[in-house]
Amino acid sequence: MAQEPSQEYIHVAYTMSRPYRWSAGKYLSKLYKEMRDSKKLVTNRCPKCKELLWPPQMVCGRCKVRAGDDWVELSDKGTVAGYTYLVYPLWDPHAGKRVGEDHPYATILLDDGMYMVSRLEEQDKEKLKVGMRVQAVWREEGRGRGLDEDILYFRTIEQ
Amino acid sequence: MAERVAIVAAAQTKYHPDRSDVTEGELAYEAIEKVLQETGLTYADDGTGIDSSVTCSQDFWDGRTMSNLNIISYDGSHLSCEDKIAEDSTNAVYCAFGQILSGQHDIVLVVSHCKESQAEKSIIENAAFDPIFMRLLGFDFLTANALQATRYMYKYGVTAEQFAKVAVKNRGNAKNNPFAQEPMDITVGDVLRSKMLVDPIRLLDTKPTSDGACAMILAREEKARKLTAKPVWISGVSNCYETHYLGDRDLADCDALVSAARRAYDMAGITDPLREIDVAEISEEYSYQELLWMEGLGFCGRGEAGKLIDAGVTQMGGQLPVNPSGGMLSGNPTVVAGMARVAEAAQQLRGEAGDRQVPGAGVALTHGVTGFCGQHQCVVVLSNK
Repeated sequence: MAQEPSQEYIHVAYTMSRPYRWSAGKYLSKLYKEMRDSKKLVTNRCPKCKELLWPPQMVCGRCKVRAGDDWVELSDKGTVAGYTYLVYPLWDPHAGKRVGEDHPYATILLDDGMYMVSRLEEQDKEKLKVGMRVQAVWREEGRGRGLDEDILYFRTIEQ
Repeated sequence: MAERVAIVAAAQTKYHPDRSDVTEGELAYEAIEKVLQETGLTYADDGTGIDSSVTCSQDFWDGRTMSNLNIISYDGSHLSCEDKIAEDSTNAVYCAFGQILSGQHDIVLVVSHCKESQAEKSIIENAAFDPIFMRLLGFDFLTANALQATRYMYKYGVTAEQFAKVAVKNRGNAKNNPFAQEPMDITVGDVLRSKMLVDPIRLLDTKPTSDGACAMILAREEKARKLTAKPVWISGVSNCYETHYLGDRDLADCDALVSAARRAYDMAGITDPLREIDVAEISEEYSYQELLWMEGLGFCGRGEAGKLIDAGVTQMGGQLPVNPSGGMLSGNPTVVAGMARVAEAAQQLRGEAGDRQVPGAGVALTHGVTGFCGQHQCVVVLSNK
């Protein structure tokens, strides 16, 4: 039998920009505007279970009822519940490319009881600990484009 | 069929070109809240409440690879049972119907949402073409459908005037539909003088950009009879895929729809659709499609739908009114369009369609389509007996 000729496999390359403009709606817009204009975190409370929703939204997913407009200002302080170091660059959705990030990422239990994922200012691995107290560092001129734009990272504090 | 499944409540949002005031979930909840209030149901898996949700949305339109995540707080699926359908939402109704007949679930919430205002339609649609063989043509649905329209005109002698009559009829019918986005008093001349988009499709031959949602509750017979005095039964349902490649079929025909309709009619015991169906809600994103789909649905022979529109058979008061709601042309989002058809037909069969009511309607045909040139077709037959 004749030898099979070596195969060449074609790859079709394709690049397409696919723009979106998502509305944040009434509830997330309120949070984003408070962050941009007043450097404050706010959210709404479920009228049935009395829990704070995070992020703020129109319906409590647990109780399945309209959450309404019982708005509460939150502390921007919290406790590190876990953290990790980046080993490869992440996507920057505004730049459409991968970028390096020098700051560790952490899950932070805010003092009002909900978890937030953000960056930590501290880059020295020796100084990072679960349980350490942190506070948000806000961008000077708020952009109103979301949580991770207006909070730069969380800074270690004494308490 | 051993057991029957009914629609016990259905609700739509008003369709709108830009609902920037709400997220997808908040939009969906406007419809969901109405069916919850109408039935008094809550979520429970002990036989007393909604025990499953079937959602319908499309990842590319929503811009995330799990578009059902947008609405989990709103459709009861948080820590509960949920499935997502990513085709036209008639298929979500089909899925919920199957969930109930399987015996797994008793009462199922079905929800579809889409905000076309948030993305670029042409780019999203281009991604529906397979990337290795067809996508680099740069087509969107408008251009592909224009090829189908021209081939349909050439093969069967259907005319642009007959397409325009569909646009005039449906936009006029929309004046009686409080949920319709673009009711219009227009003439055939207005359509034929509107801006040419891709020959032969003009601006008024197409639907506007639309945001909206639809919700309904399906239940097995025993539950349905307790939930409403006016159950609307799903008496026949099927769907079918065409070949994907435009070069692998004659675009003037719609064999997938013929197959889907045949199976749905067999199940519903329908042998002469034009006589036995009282009202039809057909997904016509483009005016020519209402005529072509009517042929696929067996309302007439191939190439004969133009004569039906000329004779007024499908207008209000005709033998078989098609799209009393105003149809997709008057403004429904893709994805949601099929459920909008089913919701409208359910209102008809309950005698609750207001000024667009077809008197005495007992059997309704609803249809949904996914993709360009009728790629995937779904047919749902409803009855109030």
